[in-house]
Amino acid sequence: MKRILIIDDDHHILLMLKKMLEKAGFEVDLASNGVDGLELFQKIQADLVITDIIMPEKEGLETIREMKRMRSDLKIIAMSGGGKISADNYLETAKIFGASLVLEKPFTQKTMVDAVTRLIESE
Amino acid sequence: MINLKGIFKAHVVGTPASDRNEWQQNRFTLAFTGEIEQYEKAFRDDYFNRSLRPMRFSLVLSTFFFAIFAFLDAVLLPELKSMFWFIRFGIITPLLTAVIVFSFSTGFKKFMQPVLAGLMYVTGLAIIVMTIFAANQAGNYTYYAGLFLIFIIGYTFIKARFIYATVVGWSIVATYEVAAIWITDTPVEILINNNFFFISANVIGMFISYFLEQSVRRDFYMRILLQKEQEKVQSANNALEKRVQERTRQIAQANKDLKKEIEIRKRHEKDKTKLEGQLIQLQKMETIGTLAGGIAHDFNNILTPILGYTEMALEEMSEDSTLRYDIEQINSAAVRGKDLVQQILTFSRQVDFDKKPLKLDEVVTEVLKLIRASFPSNIEIRQELDKQCGTVLADSTQMHQIIMNLCTNAYHAMKGHGGVLTVKLDKQKVGARSINGSAKIQKGTYVRLTISDDGHGMDKRTVERIFEPFFTMKEVGSGSGLGLSVVHGIVSNYQGSIVVESEPGKGSSFAIYLPQHSEYYDEEKANTQRMKKGRGSIMFVDDEKEITFMGKRMLESLGYTVDIKTDSQEALEEFRARPQKYDLLVTDQAMPKLMGTELIARIREVRPDMKSIIITGYQDSIPANAMEQYGIADIISKPLILSEFSELIGKVLGQNPQKSTDEKNTNH
Repeated sequence: MKRILIIDDDHHILLMLKKMLEKAGFEVDLASNGVDGLELFQKIQADLVITDIIMPEKEGLETIREMKRMRSDLKIIAMSGGGKISADNYLETAKIFGASLVLEKPFTQKTMVDAVTRLIESE
Repeated sequence: MINLKGIFKAHVVGTPASDRNEWQQNRFTLAFTGEIEQYEKAFRDDYFNRSLRPMRFSLVLSTFFFAIFAFLDAVLLPELKSMFWFIRFGIITPLLTAVIVFSFSTGFKKFMQPVLAGLMYVTGLAIIVMTIFAANQAGNYTYYAGLFLIFIIGYTFIKARFIYATVVGWSIVATYEVAAIWITDTPVEILINNNFFFISANVIGMFISYFLEQSVRRDFYMRILLQKEQEKVQSANNALEKRVQERTRQIAQANKDLKKEIEIRKRHEKDKTKLEGQLIQLQKMETIGTLAGGIAHDFNNILTPILGYTEMALEEMSEDSTLRYDIEQINSAAVRGKDLVQQILTFSRQVDFDKKPLKLDEVVTEVLKLIRASFPSNIEIRQELDKQCGTVLADSTQMHQIIMNLCTNAYHAMKGHGGVLTVKLDKQKVGARSINGSAKIQKGTYVRLTISDDGHGMDKRTVERIFEPFFTMKEVGSGSGLGLSVVHGIVSNYQGSIVVESEPGKGSSFAIYLPQHSEYYDEEKANTQRMKKGRGSIMFVDDEKEITFMGKRMLESLGYTVDIKTDSQEALEEFRARPQKYDLLVTDQAMPKLMGTELIARIREVRPDMKSIIITGYQDSIPANAMEQYGIADIISKPLILSEFSELIGKVLGQNPQKSTDEKNTNH
């Protein structure tokens, strides 16, 4: 079973995604910020990481960069609810940092499950 | 020497030291000397002018008395009468008259003193002659008394100066002495007696003359000082007058300047108030924008689980579940929320759109087509579109949204009683401050879209607030209130501006100013321009045949010569055979036998300066350091887009390969 690590500071989103992806047949691990996420990432063998961008402790862009440094072939999905401070497109930046795919919140179940499936299959 | 220093001082208090002249004069001639010598000539002129009339009078008087004494001759010395009368009327009287006459001539001034002196002496001589004859022929010794009259007049009336009068006086006495002693036998007692009288008369005359002249001189000098003081006062007055005039002028100027400044201040104050108003409005919009951005982010996070859970719930629910309708409502509400957040982001300018040169008249025509179908028949739609107004750099969807929004608002304003909706498009040159109510617009050419209605209009307070999110004039439920704020966000994003004119009961007009991108827009031309055509020989390698065909077609359309290979090993051999044939290698990364990067590495063993572009499916399948390691000029990801591809090849094969290497390095 493919293993997915989800990082988001929003508890509701974490639980919702867990349910959604478990339903789709994946094993899911959760972390509520970048620091915890990286710690967990080193312990488990995740096939895919889904991370939020704007988070406390360690935000998403940095998390993506560090994970890519550890495993350059890692597939990452970045997601965000939009710019909080400026018009800078966080998701575009995430792509540059190495995210394979970016998703805007809110997304539909289909969008998310399709994206995950596609990335995992392309390995 | 007479010292007038004291008097002088009293007159010149407060004047500069250089003006204080020491009173100095010749002891005998009384002429001014030393520091005041300069006034001597002026004094003589003045003395002459003042003496002329009294002198003439004294001459007339002398003539009269000289003539009247003819009676004395007739009474005392009848025998000498004819000779004496000759002297009186034949010589002296005519001489005196002649001098009187001469005094009227201009030349007299120069000779006055010597003439007077001569005249006195001649007259004196005449009396001495008569005295001699009277003494010798008649024993009469009384005629000498006439000399006293000469002394009196000579020292005083006649206005001879002291020195002349003195010389003449003593000359007459001396002549008398000679005559009395040697020509006549004047008894010694009479001689002594006469001498006493003559000497004392002369001495007294000298004193009188001396003090008279002295007095006249002093008087003259005082007048000079006075005149000097007057001049000083006059010049001080003039200076004062001048200063007063100058000050008056300055004050008048200052007054004028002050008035001007007050006016400028007033104008600035007015401008400031206006600008402040605009700034506050701008800040308000910015603040709302920032706030909206923050809210949007949180809302998206909230909406995510709502949407996710409702979808999952709907999936798990049986088709006929009673809860299904409720959950569906939650889902659709969440979707509405999502759209709303999208609009907020647009307003707060945190959404980037695809800006392309756009002919606004085409978008307007399209929107009006839609509107005509949906608007009631009592609303007339007029359009005045200037097709030559040029293009704007904008996203067509957003423009669509703006026009739709403003037209819908116009419809709401005219709902019920109907009216005319006018959509106008024209070109407008904007100078500094020529748009009222807009602080944030640059000078330049703008495409102006004006949408006006003759509906209910708005008051000033309403106009000020219409761009705020959630401000609405429609009944609750008929709109979200985000419409105009979104319009504002979009227009601001394009460095444009909105000018609103509205009057209650008369209607409203919204003029949107968008910077003109170009005068005319030729789509075909723009497309070809974007393609960078070039020359050169390219080897294109991909294990998929279709892709190599497509690549060949693309590159050939740009003007390059292209050889294709589907086998990377073959490609390497071909290259080894003709290493100088190709200018560029374009290769796929994921291939059997040799990977793209490997192929490049092998080729560079043969030709180290070979340029190459690598095509990837996923960018991250190329290690980050690969570009440097294999000397890859650039990476392009699938699907290949002609415009991007042409740009990239143009850049890699460009004039300055060194530069492209630098750019490559800075990318990593």
